[in-house]
Amino acid sequence: MAENETNLFEADQETEIPSNAGRTVLRLWEAMGRQRIRLIIVFVSVILYTVLSVAAPVYSAGIVDLLWKEIQESMGGCSAFRVTWDHGGMEIMILLIIYTVTGILYTFQSFLMASFAERLSLELRTRIGEKLNRLPLSFYDEHKTGEVLSRVTNDLDKMAEVMQTGLLKLFTAVGMVVGSLIMMFRFHAGLTLIFLVFTLLSMLSTKLFAARTLQYAMRRQQAVSRVTGQVEEAYSGRTVIKAFNQEENSRNAMREAVEELADTSRKADFMMNAVNPFIRLVNRAGQAVIAVSAGKLLLDGVLTVGTFQAFFQYVYQASEPLTEAAYMINSLQSSIASVERIFQLMDEKEIRPDPDVKEETGDMMEAGAGVHNVRPDLPENENAEGGKEASTRGRVQFQHVRFGYTPDHILMKDISFTAEPGRKIAVVGSTGAGKTTLINLLMRFYEVNGGRILLDGRNTGAMSYDELRRNFGMVLQDTWLFDGTVAENIAYGKPDASREEIIAAAKAARADFFIRTLPDGYDTVLNGDAENISAGQRQLLTIARVFLCDPPILILDEATSSVDTRTEMEISRAMNELMKHRTSFVIAHRLSTIVDADLILVMQNGDIIEQGSHRELLDTGGAYADLYNSQFA
Amino acid sequence: MKLILHFLKPYRKLCAFTILAMLLDVAGGLVVPKLTSDMINIGVGSGSLNYMIGKGMAMLAVTLIAGGGALLGSWLCADLSAKIGRDMRNAVYDRSLLFSAHDFERFGTGSMITRTLNDINVIQQSVVWCIQMVLPVPAVCIMGIGMAFAIDRVMGFLLIGVTVLIIVLAILVTSRASAIFGRLQRLLDRMNVVLRENLTGVRVIRAFRKEKDEEKRMRRSFEDYARTSVSANLLFAGLESTAFFVINICIVAILWLGGDRIGAGYMEIGDITALTEYSILILFYIIMAQMVIILLPRARVCIRRIREILETEPEIRDGAERMGERIPETEPAAAFEHVSFRFPDADENALTDLDFVCRRGETTAVIGGTGCGKSTLARLLLRFYDVSAGSVSVNGKDVRSISQEELRNHIAYVPQKAWLFSGTIADNLRQGKEDATEDEMRRILSVAQADFVSSLANGLDAHVAQGGTNYSGGQKQRLSIARALMKKADLYIFDDSFSALDFKTDAALRKSLKREVADSAVLIIAQRINTILNADQIIVLDKGRIAGKGTHEELMKSCPVYREIAASQMKGGEQNG
Repeated sequence: MAENETNLFEADQETEIPSNAGRTVLRLWEAMGRQRIRLIIVFVSVILYTVLSVAAPVYSAGIVDLLWKEIQESMGGCSAFRVTWDHGGMEIMILLIIYTVTGILYTFQSFLMASFAERLSLELRTRIGEKLNRLPLSFYDEHKTGEVLSRVTNDLDKMAEVMQTGLLKLFTAVGMVVGSLIMMFRFHAGLTLIFLVFTLLSMLSTKLFAARTLQYAMRRQQAVSRVTGQVEEAYSGRTVIKAFNQEENSRNAMREAVEELADTSRKADFMMNAVNPFIRLVNRAGQAVIAVSAGKLLLDGVLTVGTFQAFFQYVYQASEPLTEAAYMINSLQSSIASVERIFQLMDEKEIRPDPDVKEETGDMMEAGAGVHNVRPDLPENENAEGGKEASTRGRVQFQHVRFGYTPDHILMKDISFTAEPGRKIAVVGSTGAGKTTLINLLMRFYEVNGGRILLDGRNTGAMSYDELRRNFGMVLQDTWLFDGTVAENIAYGKPDASREEIIAAAKAARADFFIRTLPDGYDTVLNGDAENISAGQRQLLTIARVFLCDPPILILDEATSSVDTRTEMEISRAMNELMKHRTSFVIAHRLSTIVDADLILVMQNGDIIEQGSHRELLDTGGAYADLYNSQFA
Repeated sequence: MKLILHFLKPYRKLCAFTILAMLLDVAGGLVVPKLTSDMINIGVGSGSLNYMIGKGMAMLAVTLIAGGGALLGSWLCADLSAKIGRDMRNAVYDRSLLFSAHDFERFGTGSMITRTLNDINVIQQSVVWCIQMVLPVPAVCIMGIGMAFAIDRVMGFLLIGVTVLIIVLAILVTSRASAIFGRLQRLLDRMNVVLRENLTGVRVIRAFRKEKDEEKRMRRSFEDYARTSVSANLLFAGLESTAFFVINICIVAILWLGGDRIGAGYMEIGDITALTEYSILILFYIIMAQMVIILLPRARVCIRRIREILETEPEIRDGAERMGERIPETEPAAAFEHVSFRFPDADENALTDLDFVCRRGETTAVIGGTGCGKSTLARLLLRFYDVSAGSVSVNGKDVRSISQEELRNHIAYVPQKAWLFSGTIADNLRQGKEDATEDEMRRILSVAQADFVSSLANGLDAHVAQGGTNYSGGQKQRLSIARALMKKADLYIFDDSFSALDFKTDAALRKSLKREVADSAVLIIAQRINTILNADQIIVLDKGRIAGKGTHEELMKSCPVYREIAASQMKGGEQNG
């Protein structure tokens, strides 16, 4: 019951088959480390537990027979039979002790397994957490967030659950079934065969049910997708629906999709609900047949009252695990598949570790000389002092940079340009032209395949990530805020900032006003869905964050359309404020940005096809002029 | 709870039948052990084989009836769940259609989607579980104890004792468990949030060099989760162990006391089996019910979230007046009278004191920088928002005095963000005119410079993906313009609708547009001066106020703001459209 509450719609997905179960289990065994000893203790306890559980019914059968004998004997006499210590009482007490010991063993192994499984998944989870920070950006570009997330949460939870309940159940189930069947055969082979026939029947019907259920579940899944699509579309396009008075049509379309979902759910739910009652029906029918046959044997004196009862107890003990066997094996398999996926993630290639910090002065001087400067009108006096420690002025040079996301598919063939300190560089080009790639290389989210990028004369490839990135501030369109207070979010890059500094940054970013209107001001917690602030306000916060860090170089991705008009105005004002006195790279969507940029880089198919100021480029009448006329205005 | 009852109300009979079917199953579960014990009693006594077979047949019959009841119950339950889910979804969607832009933004698209889909799922599931697992519990307890009393008074009391013990135990565990599970859910959410943040924010994290801090943050959330998981698991393991133990004690007690009672002739040896079964059944049902109850708080949250939607009163309500059949030619199609507008959470007006009219046969253009409030203007005309001061009227009627449907019947609108619906191109065009013929559509497509449609494989029946993502920005915009042109309206609003078109298309479109909507008023909102050069009236907006009003030539002379815009767009060579 507990296990199928989380996955309402995926409750009955196909079983995943692990590709190499043996190797995965072995690796998991290694990952357990010192915890292995616990598993061994649990195993021993399970064996004891099973033996006692199988023995208990036989013992209680003896007691019932004993009582029955005593009662019959005393019936002949004059006094009624009473249970006393000598007459059955001692045996009953021993039975109680057997039960108590079984109970203690059960508790013991459950407790041990519970913490064992959680510790193991904590260990693996932490390792993945650390791994995430060593994965290259390409990993994140290639994998969907949901997918990775599900490995760290669902897959590990599945593993933990199977470990603590499934594994234990499996251990005991095997013991129980084998033990019970042996005892049953000892009591009476014929009866046992009847039992086996009916068990087979119920196992068969489980299989039949499972196949049908899968079919219905798939149909429901289709209906779910349809409703999801309908809902997403209707909510996203609601202005159009309303403007065209399409409410009635949209309502009908929704009704239809929802009705279909109701229809398929009804069937799929029924199949899922009905499995258990159906199996119970088969099992009970089997028990009726066994009861009649056993009753006859009882009449004939082959069975005693005690053995009759004991036989039924064994029937219960054995039939449940047997009918559940398919389910148990399935869940075990899929949990191994889960573990396999986790290990796959851990085996992903990692980024290059930071280089050993070494001076690269010689290289740098040489580099400064070799720059081919695109804007000769700017004085070239920064080079001399470029290498001095921590005196970043913000000169960025790309020298014959060559890059492709995969080495066999080169996107940027040869990029060179120089961004002088304090200047504004606008990057324009259509989607996929390589604007983001440029930023990715600048921040060293990706490594260049050829050429080099210099920051104040130093090769960025030779700097540590930390040293390099402390020079940059980024405001991306995809505003990333974390689950914390407004103040914490602003101070993200500078955790020790005082409240005054934070407020000053917010004021500079024109975010102070709206923050004050929030229920708890700067201490308002931004929840995950961030339903409490708008997309535009989020952007303002990310700008404030950069203000606080005060980096010499900026990377800005201008907001496009997801922002309401009022905030959009505030954002552009704040961005303009931020760009003052800093080298800034702007992925431009807005006329004003492009027009007053010091340098415009026009990108196409990964390369810079034109560079210069707005006026220069328009005068040239090349690609920029076309682009400008068709896209921006 | 009230919400659930409200949605269950239409299905009262169905509910009753479902519960009845469930009870049949429960009763069967209790009768079978009784029959078994009878058979034992016959077996040890001097009963005949025929009598035994009779009991066996009875047992089969009971099994079939109970099984039938269970299967019927499963079906009815699935049916009930499907129905209330459907009704809830429809109710939520219907309500959402009444929401104003502002009402809707309060929830947000993402949250509305989650509520309509996932939240209702959780509620459905919870209702089913309650019916299947919780409702039968009292019946099982009462029937089980009743049957025990039928066997023997002492045994009846024993079973009462056991039942009470289990219930007390269950209550104890539940009260602790809901706290632990509430915490577990929160920590799981927290873990998900932190992980998601780490995955989606990887660029920011690395840019700010926060990898080590994030590792610590993740580790903390993992540890909290693991700790609470362990205690939740221990609680369950503890519950299971105790439950087994109680049952075992119960069996021992039945043996001991039962032995006495049999000895005294009050009951028979076979009854021991029946009694053991009863106590196990009672235990089983109570534990199952308890598991369900532990999960209910989650459903309560979902119910609250659905209620929030259903109880939100739409902010914008229809007026009662009618526009009337005949609208005098001289009446301006739209008029702004000293309109000011302020967003509910803003400190300053987005629009202040706007005063202008859009006349039939004329083109009115609105131009201004980003964030000057241009698009808000269109939204006020369509009554997606209501003005804060002044009034907006269409065809001489204040938009607040008439119904939204009637208002929008007279306006054709091309939104800034071209949004197309999944289906075919024809489906989208028919939103403008339901009974449009193919010829009409082709003609309008040509007016909208969207002739590319005829070159598509399926022409008008070409597939459109959700949001129109399978078309380029310019194509989407032209289709969205065509959709608006399909509609015969008094006022056409183009909200920055030419931005993705190149100059040539832009010019051609405006030319054919002029002919197409010659008798109506046109309102063009634009950023590009070329688009509006020839408008009859240009309104220049600056920070939400009118900075100038007139034709291009007039404004070039009189309005510095306008001149500035013109200069910035035209330097580097004169562009004519």
